[in-house]
Amino acid sequence: MVRVKFRYLVVNFLYPEPSSKSRTDLPDLVQIHSPTPDAFNAGALVRLIRDAVEDLYGDYGSGMVSSSLKVNYYSPSTSTAIIRCPRDHYEMVWAALTYVTRLPKVDVPVVCRVLRVSGTIRKAEEEVIRRSQNIVKRAKAWEGRGADPMLSSVEKNVEKERKREDVLAAVDQGEESEEMSE
Amino acid sequence: MFHDLNVPWPGAGADAVRELQRTVAFLDELGYDVVALTHTYSGKLPSELTSPVPNPLSFPVPQRLRVLRRCNIFLTDSASNFRIPQLQQHYDLVAARPTDERTLQQACHSLDVDIISLDLTRRFEKHFKFPMLGAAIARGIKIELCYSQGILSSDPQAKRNLISNATQLIRVTRGRGLIFSSEAKSVLGIRAPSDVINLASVWGLGSERGKDGLTKEPRSVVEHARLKRQSFKGVVDIVYGGEKPVSISKDKQDGKSKAKNQNEKRPGETLESAPARRTEPKQVPKREQKRVKKANLEAAAAAQEAA
Repeated sequence: MVRVKFRYLVVNFLYPEPSSKSRTDLPDLVQIHSPTPDAFNAGALVRLIRDAVEDLYGDYGSGMVSSSLKVNYYSPSTSTAIIRCPRDHYEMVWAALTYVTRLPKVDVPVVCRVLRVSGTIRKAEEEVIRRSQNIVKRAKAWEGRGADPMLSSVEKNVEKERKREDVLAAVDQGEESEEMSE
Repeated sequence: MFHDLNVPWPGAGADAVRELQRTVAFLDELGYDVVALTHTYSGKLPSELTSPVPNPLSFPVPQRLRVLRRCNIFLTDSASNFRIPQLQQHYDLVAARPTDERTLQQACHSLDVDIISLDLTRRFEKHFKFPMLGAAIARGIKIELCYSQGILSSDPQAKRNLISNATQLIRVTRGRGLIFSSEAKSVLGIRAPSDVINLASVWGLGSERGKDGLTKEPRSVVEHARLKRQSFKGVVDIVYGGEKPVSISKDKQDGKSKAKNQNEKRPGETLESAPARRTEPKQVPKREQKRVKKANLEAAAAAQEAA
């Protein structure tokens, strides 16, 4: 019995440009890796890829790709996803992702970056785990060092925001720190 | 070592600088190592050619990143003078953007630029020819493909033209001497190196060649340009010249040479510049000897006559 051959793409969504709604001036690294808005879910991601492929390759492309397109894993907090696509045409999906500039529905400017192409889902998962471990390690290194310029600039911005609308002052604290550790 | 040799310089306003800082941080995050900020001269060249890009930049640059300065000149008229030697003094890289067949030929065959960068969003009326582009590649000039126009542009015709021109260039040059760069007007036009390599392979360039177009070829451009400016005739460059000797004795020599200068010696014959051999007492030439001898004899004869 021969299996159907797939490729698994590990995709990371990056947000280099702050959306027009937020007024805070985050440091660049935090801004780039900020979490995906909740309104954008796995279903929307599949639709996004299908539309992008159709845009770039027309009916032929979307016919070739859509049969086995699937989102295997999607985490909005780290903006990471694993996408399954047919092995012969994974370059189409990749190129279509390269051409994406905006998330539909939430309307946020985005840059999609393929981190890894893998033949098995296990290796793709390992890559995701390795990445998130790296992030945790980096965050811990900052904590150990004490006063970090980046962290302090985030705190300063949060402080500024709080002064602007002092009603929310008591509630905000937990949320903000959680975002950093991710 | 990934290179992006075309990031437009947005100007010196506060907003523009903030935008540029964001762009540079994003490039660093994506894994680029060398970035060139481009200033474009459109129309006639001004009399003052100094680069508007400050050195160092007005914001902190990530440690790993190397920032170069580059200028683009539009070749609209093949007869005009582009003053490339002056441009080379002020910029690390000089790129030419030909607008028609004749200027493209001029850039390929005779112009002393580092990169030929074509506007791929327009339609060229003639096909590219290998002999012309091959001559440029043989001279060490690379041909640049800017991908961000195809991603950001809202005009579908521009996207189509970019893809068709890119595939044509890849076919004509046989995949040699191509470099990929972004020319991104905003941060969103920049893509990670692996994504660009995939795009190249979709356009018909193998992924190995695509990787060369981001690493090896641009590096050769950068190093070639650097050697042209710094080294002796582009052949010999001093990497480490050793430390200067302690300059105690130099003061003495300076005093001496000054004294010599006062003694109405030519400045070229000072102790420092002349080799050591020359400073020994000079041999009197034979003709001079003869003349002196003759003069002595005459003087003696005159004395005898007078006596």
